[in-house]
Amino acid sequence: MSAIMAANPRAEVARASEALAINISAAMGVQDYLKSNLGPKGSMKMLVSGAGDIKITKDGNVLMHESQIKHPTAALIARAATAQDDVTGDGTTSIVLLIGELLKQAQVYMTEGLHPRLITEGFNAAREKALELLDQMSVKLTGDDREKLLEIARTSLRTKVHSKTADLLTSIVTEAVLAVRRDNEQIDLHMVEIMEMVHRSEMDTTLVRGLVLDHGARHPDMPKRVTNASILTCNVSLEYEKTEVNSGFFYKSPEEREKMVMAERQFIIDRVEKIIALKKAVCKAGENKNFVVINQKGIDPLSLDMLAKEGIMALRRAKRRNMERLTLACGGIAVNSVDDLKEDALGFAGSVYEHVLGEDKYTFIEDCKNPQSVTILIRGPNKHTITQVKDGVRDGLRAVLNTLEDGALVPGAGAFEFALREHLLKFVNEGHVKGKARFGVQAYAEAFLIIPKTLAQNAGFDGQDVMVKLQEESRQSHRAVGVDCDTGNVSFPEELGIWDNVRVKKQQINTCTLIATNLLLVDEIMRAGLSSLKADGS
Amino acid sequence: MAMHVPSAPGFAQMMSDGARYYSGLDETVIRSIEACRELSQIVSTSYGPKGLNKMVVTHLGKMFITNDAATIVKEIENEHPAVKLIIMASEMQEKEIGDGTNFVLIFAGALLDQAEELLRMGISVPEITDGYEIALGKALELLDDCVCGRVTNFRDSQQVKRAIKASVTSKQLGTDDFLAGLISDACIGLLSEKGKTFSVDNVRVIKLLGSGLLSSTVMNGMVFKRDIEGDVQKATDCKIAVYSCALDISQTETKGTVLIKTANELLNYSKNEEDLLEKQIKAIAESGVKVIVSGGKVGDMALHFVNKYKLMVVRLMSKFDIRRVANSVGAIVLSTIVPPTPDVQGHCDLVYLDEIGDTSVVVFKQDKAEGAISTIVLRGATENSMDDIERAVDDGVNNFKALTKDDRLLPGAGATEVELARLLTQYADTRPGLEQYAIKKFATALEVFPRVLAENAGVKAADILAKLQAAHQEGLKNVGFNIEDEAEPTIDAEKAGILDLYMTKQQAMRLAVGAAVTLLRVNKIVMAKQAGGPKPPKQGGQDEDD
Repeated sequence: MSAIMAANPRAEVARASEALAINISAAMGVQDYLKSNLGPKGSMKMLVSGAGDIKITKDGNVLMHESQIKHPTAALIARAATAQDDVTGDGTTSIVLLIGELLKQAQVYMTEGLHPRLITEGFNAAREKALELLDQMSVKLTGDDREKLLEIARTSLRTKVHSKTADLLTSIVTEAVLAVRRDNEQIDLHMVEIMEMVHRSEMDTTLVRGLVLDHGARHPDMPKRVTNASILTCNVSLEYEKTEVNSGFFYKSPEEREKMVMAERQFIIDRVEKIIALKKAVCKAGENKNFVVINQKGIDPLSLDMLAKEGIMALRRAKRRNMERLTLACGGIAVNSVDDLKEDALGFAGSVYEHVLGEDKYTFIEDCKNPQSVTILIRGPNKHTITQVKDGVRDGLRAVLNTLEDGALVPGAGAFEFALREHLLKFVNEGHVKGKARFGVQAYAEAFLIIPKTLAQNAGFDGQDVMVKLQEESRQSHRAVGVDCDTGNVSFPEELGIWDNVRVKKQQINTCTLIATNLLLVDEIMRAGLSSLKADGS
Repeated sequence: MAMHVPSAPGFAQMMSDGARYYSGLDETVIRSIEACRELSQIVSTSYGPKGLNKMVVTHLGKMFITNDAATIVKEIENEHPAVKLIIMASEMQEKEIGDGTNFVLIFAGALLDQAEELLRMGISVPEITDGYEIALGKALELLDDCVCGRVTNFRDSQQVKRAIKASVTSKQLGTDDFLAGLISDACIGLLSEKGKTFSVDNVRVIKLLGSGLLSSTVMNGMVFKRDIEGDVQKATDCKIAVYSCALDISQTETKGTVLIKTANELLNYSKNEEDLLEKQIKAIAESGVKVIVSGGKVGDMALHFVNKYKLMVVRLMSKFDIRRVANSVGAIVLSTIVPPTPDVQGHCDLVYLDEIGDTSVVVFKQDKAEGAISTIVLRGATENSMDDIERAVDDGVNNFKALTKDDRLLPGAGATEVELARLLTQYADTRPGLEQYAIKKFATALEVFPRVLAENAGVKAADILAKLQAAHQEGLKNVGFNIEDEAEPTIDAEKAGILDLYMTKQQAMRLAVGAAVTLLRVNKIVMAKQAGGPKPPKQGGQDEDD
């Protein structure tokens, strides 16, 4: 009996081997759940929310969060996956698999009486070695290696979406990241706007070198499509706003009231006229130039009328984040006042047009000169397809960004994991690890094989079979060998262009070791907080 | 929910209360397939001209009697996630094309049905999905060869009518010819402006109870179920001013107070106000305008002056209606009460108040055949029947819209499907891998259409299918099922004028395959506990199988 039971008879407790069994079975349960999703041939899971919304995905992070898991151990692992996603944006499924497998391998030794502490020591020693090997295996990028960037994007995307879609998205995400990159500055992925449109199929997803706004011009007489457009980005209210203090008009005849009505408007009219004056200065007759106003605040119908009469396309209530992107995409400065409007505050776009889809309107601002903010327009026939593509695009962008920041890649397709096992076993056999901790290193080595094994299994091949083939090949060729998911044979990922991010692997090695170590060292699980003293269900 | 010290192992125990978890082929794919089969069985009896109607009563007590699949699936409040996927595909078809929704449902159902057989044969899911995708690609390629005609001139009412008739026939057999005529007239009338794309929104349908369907008409202009405000009930060859604001005394945005110091001022105030309004309305009248369309209320005093100057006033409630009227008469909407300059005035040949049945309607009619907006006035005995006819008209109009994007036509009456199935079966034999089984099943799935057509017409489906296949084998690729004549079960669809749009078929096949393949690829389902709120009463549980 645990001491806590004496103090609080309602406490729930699991001790020693029971606690360990709970942790290990949970980790293996989650692993089993996610296993079928790994790799390009992984299958999908359908999640149905409480409201009946459907999500179809194989993104490890999404699954861990939305699979209604409440088991404490599983929640801990889910958090590791989140950390992985936050830091690198990829490798979430792998990390869950690795944690499960580490515990599973450790269990084999523990049933033989090995103390968990010794295993964790072995794990930590193995982790050091793994990081070392990662350095050795990574391939440095030379300059702007577009080919490699495309390859890493393709590898990442193929594990998230259908391969046809992935091939289409590959160049889109790579181009997008390269477009927003500026010298000597950190790349801000927020400058890649992701818009979604329920339209046609996911194969019509495009990269717009400019912006897509999810609303249209609010006046029926405004032009729907303009070319050679000067763009005024502003945050000026073009509608009547009440004063902050309580005010009222006093008049004694209808004429006076009419005047009041006029005067009230005049204030706004002045502003609109300033914009119109600028338009006239910029777009001289016969030059085929046009003018577009994008306002963060409102524009009332009367002002819209005035602008429409001048042939100006005006959009009101643009989103704040789009204002920043607008100036990056089209150039110019966002203005907060219409006083002293100058031409150099204007941006430029080759074409601006409205696209109507049922009830929804979209405005495309395209053909910008040297845009530093771009939009990925995701199309898809329904919401779940779009969400799936969106999650994929986000991971793809991160993969390209990671590569640029790391300046290096490691061969994918399970090549690193396989090489790590061989490396660690050699390390043990050569007698570098003293004492029983060597079993920990051995367990670690075997655990990493879960990745190539699962890749093979998901593609419909026998895991062991493929492992044997890999061993044969690597002994002969001494090269990085991975699994070919199409044939179940050995492949050379460097030749096929299958890469993983260095930081993804690094984070994986660190986190999975840490979580597995933590879980192994738990010897008591209890629940005796004050809130749980009340009997359940009361 | 607080955590508990967990007990038994296994993933299902790790989830929150009430969440359900299905994994494995039997629990996910096979069950989904069963549910989808139920759905496609419901709608397949409504497919084609001889399809039967369904009566759907919603939990609000609203009744629908229709054979339009889009309406049926919208109203049956399905909860099964797999079925939902198929329905979404069909809704997408409704959005993109506006017709062919039933095709998507039946085809997706048939594909899944065939997939189940393949699974039982031991073929793996990836092989099936790959095969289906290959087959789709090939089918779309082959579809080009099936094209049997084009609409060359969109102004030729005969050609247009011929192209959209089959779609109307499938909804309203018997009156199809008349309706197709109405629809093509209404659509062609809108083609006057060059370069402007055809908008479905510009064909208005107004339903007036009474008389019969055959007294429905088409006119250029608009009809509103409204009364007019003033005394003048008719204006011919008149100018029109359109205002989006109220026709009344102008108001300041800031609260106004009238400051009156003497009794005299009070007297003068009302007098002046009247004078001012009279001046405004007089100015409008003097600009030559005979009819005012207003978007807001018409004040009593304003009404008096309007009558005095013999102006006709129509008040419309919706700002979209205001825009449409402005569009139809060629006016620009004004947002303040100012006298309209000639360039913002519109013109209409005839504006009058009419009484059709027992409903007062305001009619804006243009004499010339072409205009910006045309209206189909539907007559019918009951609301339900008119609703159904309206859906048929909508489908027809959407078909015209699709035609303007892609003018290719395919033979209908199941001819295209039989031909595709034949070619795909041949193609399957050339494929080396296991996907050839899936391609063959894809072809079998296509044959469901002539089968359903025949079954719904009460004819032996197997016989018909055999006859059609024989005809196609001889190279008569336009031969389809003849629904009219039992003695002569096959017919040349092209000559008989039973035509489907290329675009409808193409899109529908794509969506159906997409939905089916997505469903097949799912290997685990996690369902959260149903969100709270009162549940709508059950519908007799057509497809809830869990």
